[in-house]
Amino acid sequence: MIRRALIGVAAVALLTGCSGDPPAGSPVGEARPGVLRVLAGSELTDMAPVLEEAAKATGVRVEFSYTGTLDGAESVANGTAEQGFDAVWFSSNRYLELLPEAAKRLGRPTKVMSSPVVLGLPASKVRELGWDAKRVGWAEIADAAGQKRFTYGMTDPSTSNSGFSALVGIASALTGSGSALDAAAITSVAPELKDFFSAQTLSAGSSGWLSEAYQRRARGEDPGARVDGLLNYESVLLSVNAANVLPEPLTLVYPNDGVVTADYPLTLLGSAGEDARGSYDRLTAHLRSPDAQRRISEVTGRRPASPEVQLDGRFAVRDLVELPFPGSGAAVDGLVTAYFDQLRRPSRTLYVLDTSGSMEGERIDGLRQAVIGLTGADTTLSGRFSKFHGREQVTLLPFNGAPESPREFTVTTDADLGRIKSAAEGLGARGGTAIYSSLRQGYDVLRAQSAADQDRFTSIVLMTDGENTSGDGFDDFAAFHDGLEPALRGVPVFPVLFGESAADEMGRVASMSGGKVFDARSRTLAEAFKEIRGYQ
Amino acid sequence: MIRTVDESHEVALVKRLGGTALAVVLLVGVVFAVVRGRSDETSSTDLRTVRGVIGSEKLAFFADQRVRDAFARHGLAVEVDPAGSRQIATTVELDRYDFAFPSSAPAAERIQQTRKAARTYAPFSSPMVIATFDPIVKLLADQGVVRPGQVFDVAKYLELTAAGTRWDQLPNNTDFPARKNVLVTTTDPRDSNSAAMYLAITSFVANGGVVASPEAEAKVLPAVGKLFLEQGYTQSSTDGPFEDYLSAGMGKTPMVLAYEAQFVDRVVRGDSTIRPGMTLLYPAPTVLSKHTLVPLKPSGDQVGELLTTDAELGRLAATFGFRTADPRYFDEVVKEHGVSVPATVVDVVEPPSYETLERMLEAIAKQY
Repeated sequence: MIRRALIGVAAVALLTGCSGDPPAGSPVGEARPGVLRVLAGSELTDMAPVLEEAAKATGVRVEFSYTGTLDGAESVANGTAEQGFDAVWFSSNRYLELLPEAAKRLGRPTKVMSSPVVLGLPASKVRELGWDAKRVGWAEIADAAGQKRFTYGMTDPSTSNSGFSALVGIASALTGSGSALDAAAITSVAPELKDFFSAQTLSAGSSGWLSEAYQRRARGEDPGARVDGLLNYESVLLSVNAANVLPEPLTLVYPNDGVVTADYPLTLLGSAGEDARGSYDRLTAHLRSPDAQRRISEVTGRRPASPEVQLDGRFAVRDLVELPFPGSGAAVDGLVTAYFDQLRRPSRTLYVLDTSGSMEGERIDGLRQAVIGLTGADTTLSGRFSKFHGREQVTLLPFNGAPESPREFTVTTDADLGRIKSAAEGLGARGGTAIYSSLRQGYDVLRAQSAADQDRFTSIVLMTDGENTSGDGFDDFAAFHDGLEPALRGVPVFPVLFGESAADEMGRVASMSGGKVFDARSRTLAEAFKEIRGYQ
Repeated sequence: MIRTVDESHEVALVKRLGGTALAVVLLVGVVFAVVRGRSDETSSTDLRTVRGVIGSEKLAFFADQRVRDAFARHGLAVEVDPAGSRQIATTVELDRYDFAFPSSAPAAERIQQTRKAARTYAPFSSPMVIATFDPIVKLLADQGVVRPGQVFDVAKYLELTAAGTRWDQLPNNTDFPARKNVLVTTTDPRDSNSAAMYLAITSFVANGGVVASPEAEAKVLPAVGKLFLEQGYTQSSTDGPFEDYLSAGMGKTPMVLAYEAQFVDRVVRGDSTIRPGMTLLYPAPTVLSKHTLVPLKPSGDQVGELLTTDAELGRLAATFGFRTADPRYFDEVVKEHGVSVPATVVDVVEPPSYETLERMLEAIAKQY
């Protein structure tokens, strides 16, 4: 008993620790009575008030550890989830169930709530498109997108379920066979899919950041071009409207030929012990009770799962057609791969990399591994999708006391990935740290590249392990950035905090460019670089 | 079980009292009293525990206090673990149990063979049905798939699916112009008994009789495999699609394959999950999911005997929607709750043998 109490204290310390967030998916301690340890998707954070009430009512406390869909699926499949968790809770079990090794470790699922992925556009845009008076299908939406009559943002389908659902939805609807997707079906509608994705101007690794970036651009706080709409969960779009933070509220467009819906099954793992099973039963019985269901819907904007509970007035379209979902892992992988390599606008990715003397030793080696990981060396489930994609233009711009010459690659075959790998292996560490002069140089590289080929998702990764020691200072750079032409000013910069990075300045670089800071101080550079892939 | 209750009480109480030595000493006495008091109430020592592994559809029945009391009156405490019927026939370690109670005759037949059981009991059954919605019934009636008397013509349905017909291609369809194929939603054929039962129905029709030869298997597989493969992803538990039918409605699940008992059970519960416009169709032909108990030890025989002969257990089974060996119980329940079901289901065929069914399921699984 004393041992248990100590573990409890340790777990609390871990959760409230001041050394930054624990790495994604890290365990939350040993099994304890009255605690359900749950590996979950990060969108479940909004369930906190409901789960607090549930703990009071049932005596069962949920301890979450958050992870991405693919990483979560992988840890269930390889058995690590069973070591530290009693249950998993993602937006859907579909992908998990398509992995035989993961499927066999899943126990009972209980669907707790649901939310379809739909398109949100400003009301005036919907009127302009003539979609206020009638319901439209995905084919009409793709057609209007192809004519650039609207732009939108969606999440990376390999890291976030909302983007993944959107991709499956439109592909499934456009194939028109009405049955589940296969490779031939995807090929047959590739031109229409390309049309649709040509209007995607914002990508993100998570639904939450996508929604925030969209709002900042709508209010003119970010330099990037305004994005008309968002493909996201109905619940996210309803929350944005409810928060009243947009110049104009979003109208939700529910394609009449169907949607893909997340159904949030809280799922016991087969390995869960007797105590955890009891906790699971009590908790799910509570969560499915009519009162809790109404509360969940009110708090999260998701639809109740219990048929006894009626939808309230926020849910304008009630009976949604659900599109078929692929029936094999191979079909899903094929679709996501096609999205990256053929369908979406290709990326232009610039890496401004600190190779100064302070990077000597483990650090420069970590940097080499981080880049090499993106050339196909990372064979994990998430690694396979985060490698450099077909058609992607990748530039490495190493710097020390001054920028070196850029190494430019366009990925067409595996040989190109091999060349990037060799370039990464050749990175050495010496000299000073001219962060801002080098970053400036990066914009010249991008300007030349986009003169030749404009229509790409463009972004900059800025990785440095310390203070600026030579060349331009931060203020010089801020003035320079302010004077850039709009297209380049709106290119998001993703600074990576590492070693003795000047966190404050890096944060300002991210915010002036509409980017986001990634912290690699308590994890490897490879993990941070991989996470950034969702935003490129 | 009791041990864990004991521990959690102890932990909770210690936390509350702060844990001085005296408190702990006093507490141990309290905890013992609590535990003894509880066990006196719930489980009398004269009850003999009988353990069974059962198809998960019957879990609610065995967990019901009235059912537990009925068994207790005969000196039995029946403890059950749920499992998929096909798992019970193949992977579950049966030595731990006194009886196996899968949800289909082929699975029971297989267990009876491998365990050399002298006899089996089939105390209740439930026909496979299609739960759907009035607008769908109307659309399918226009196509000749639905006939008066809640009949779902499987042969006509197979004609529609052979052509890959979508809902939005049906003439005069304004109620459900969905851009997806006309398909009954089932569970994953790799995991679930109800999907195997669906295969029994559709293979019978495609073959013009029970499939009983490798040639017949080869002949029907393209047509029946499609019924699963074209759905894409399917859920593994029978509750999944039926719950979707109840909560997400027609858009997600216009037609779902279910056990009749699932639908009747919901009506009996009166929890308003069965709404106006929800309706049952009976495939012609259909198969019965024959819940068949295979005794593995003598005490298992006693459970089988009681389920078959005890009037109260029969009545209770009927309230969970099962058709009982004595049809009166089921008739009373559906009459009392006004459920529209036929008194007897006439057009019933036998499923193929366990081996044939397994081979066909394997062949379909390979195509995913």
